[in-house]
Amino acid sequence: MIHGPPGPATQIATTAPVLRIGAVSKRFGATTVLENCSLEVSEQEIVTLLGPSGCGKTTLLRCVAGFWNVDSGSIEIDGYDMAAVPVNRRPVGVVFQSYALFPHLSVLKNVGYALRMSGMAKSEASDRVAKALETVSLTGFEDRYPAQLSGGQQQRVAIARVLVMEPRVLLLDEPFNALDAKLRGAMQVELRQLIKRLGLTSIFVTHDQEEALTMSDRIAVMRAGQIEQVAPPDEIFDRPSTAYVADFIGTSSFWKAKAVAGEVTLPDGQTLKTELDGTVQVMARPHNLRLTEAGTGLWQGTVAFHRNVGALIEYHIETADGVTVKVAAMRQELARPLADSASVTLSVIDPALCAVYAD
Amino acid sequence: MANVTLPSVAARPGLGEFVLEKLLSGRGIWPAMPAILVLMVVAIIPFVILLSLGFSDIEVSRGAIVSRTFSLEYLTTALSDRLYWITFQRSLSLALSTTALCFLFGYPVAYLFLVGGRWTKRLILVLTIAPLLTSGIVRTYAWLVILGGRGVVNTTLINIGLIDQPLRIMNTQWAVLIGMVQIHLPVMILPLIAVMSRHDGNLIEVSQNLGASRLGTLRTVILPLSVPGIGTGSALVFTLSYTTFVVPQLLGGGNYLNAATMIYEQVVFSLEWSKGSVTSLILMVTCLVVLVSIALVSNHFTRWTRERDS
Repeated sequence: MIHGPPGPATQIATTAPVLRIGAVSKRFGATTVLENCSLEVSEQEIVTLLGPSGCGKTTLLRCVAGFWNVDSGSIEIDGYDMAAVPVNRRPVGVVFQSYALFPHLSVLKNVGYALRMSGMAKSEASDRVAKALETVSLTGFEDRYPAQLSGGQQQRVAIARVLVMEPRVLLLDEPFNALDAKLRGAMQVELRQLIKRLGLTSIFVTHDQEEALTMSDRIAVMRAGQIEQVAPPDEIFDRPSTAYVADFIGTSSFWKAKAVAGEVTLPDGQTLKTELDGTVQVMARPHNLRLTEAGTGLWQGTVAFHRNVGALIEYHIETADGVTVKVAAMRQELARPLADSASVTLSVIDPALCAVYAD
Repeated sequence: MANVTLPSVAARPGLGEFVLEKLLSGRGIWPAMPAILVLMVVAIIPFVILLSLGFSDIEVSRGAIVSRTFSLEYLTTALSDRLYWITFQRSLSLALSTTALCFLFGYPVAYLFLVGGRWTKRLILVLTIAPLLTSGIVRTYAWLVILGGRGVVNTTLINIGLIDQPLRIMNTQWAVLIGMVQIHLPVMILPLIAVMSRHDGNLIEVSQNLGASRLGTLRTVILPLSVPGIGTGSALVFTLSYTTFVVPQLLGGGNYLNAATMIYEQVVFSLEWSKGSVTSLILMVTCLVVLVSIALVSNHFTRWTRERDS
């Protein structure tokens, strides 16, 4: 475990959240950027703020870091209100999207910056810097300048630079954006393992759902300044609480249906329980739908488009009532890919995995 | 087999086309050629002629040059003349103080530009550039109005009862210094702003996040990164104020002798072109020495910019 700030912090019960964001709102002029956002992050947990650009995720991160003040609500770390704590006194480490390494300082001095500012004795500081560089496997790069490093190395310097100050909360603002696609995937796994090994409590901001699914213990999906759902990746993916979350995470198809007496009838004749009444929206994931070549089923459609996604073929099926449904089929399942405009029959594999939302 | 007509070899390009092609190629010194040609005619050739006057004994008889011999006489006379030493010392200390004061007043403005909001930035840019839209002579005359015996400063001081008699500011070295600083301030601020805003805006936030106070951030991040701007600004302000003529002439009341006013008097009033030539040479060489020193110091503090892929 990483050391917390000295003093009463250690007396807090271990079940208490490390970071508590309580009903935070933030406005810029007439625009409300954050509205009533609440989130708790427990010890050693990685929580991702996921949402499209402009949803307020970076704003929330900047409020936690102390770059911006909140208009209402509170931010507590280890039970202490951070409102009066200036940015340079918060036990928070930020890794920026651009890394923002000091271009005029060597790797050694970049990583040692926080310790130099805290006035730590040189010998102790250099031990900690060496340890941090070892943690991110950059030993031997001490005398390089940021311009002499690759993107991946720069990112590791940025991480080592906040690690040395042993922050209570690590904040990562889209740290993979500047990397190319291939390196990104590798760094995601590497960074998650590193954070877990160090036992750091972290908030991770991204707009990339795959990144969120890889990195997080829990995901907070944000929409227009509000947190829509907070849940572990599996739950977010399998049981999205709103149509917005279902649409944002993974591929999904929606169609309208009528709920009568606690039941919704799916187009293929199966039924699904619901608490809603009246017109509803039903959502199904592509892997929960099955395609058979034109047969006798109730749910008929034609192939409008198909594309290869690795081991899967994704079909867009246009149904009789004009809805496009996305279906994923394993390559092996069909001897040959269905041709565009072929007639097919659709069915739901497990109705329980379909979600129903109010229209 | 089809009949293929090869495109006929283009006619040899004319000289104009050739030169234009070279100018637009962006290679070597070609794009600078027009400027070099103009400078040759209006600066370098006249300067060589002027220099030749300073290093030759010319005998003139009945309006015609009879003989020209190489001579170091004017240079040695100048170097042993106490008036030269005093004048150049004054020029140098005036230019160095102007540079230092411009830095002291200009740096906070550039800092404010860096950390300020959108409107602060706009206001600073407008206020910095606006004075450049009027000529230096006009701005110098404005100081006559402000600093004169019945000027704004003295009237105010007398009115609030701080002094009985108007202070003598005009025609002193203080008036010259005040004018110099005001006129050259934008030349210091603009390069500072340009260099400071070139860096990642997150650097300041990173430094605060890592525990630095505002002063710590200024000392360890903003100041080191603005060194190239300080170098450029200082070099410009120094060159302009070391060789300045208008401000000392107008605000110094004609009896403030610096290197430039000295050359003016030698060439225009006493018609001693040879002396003027030697003075110009000393002015230029000493100016270059200071500029090289500024460049060396600035380079020393920006070694990191040259550390690339070693």
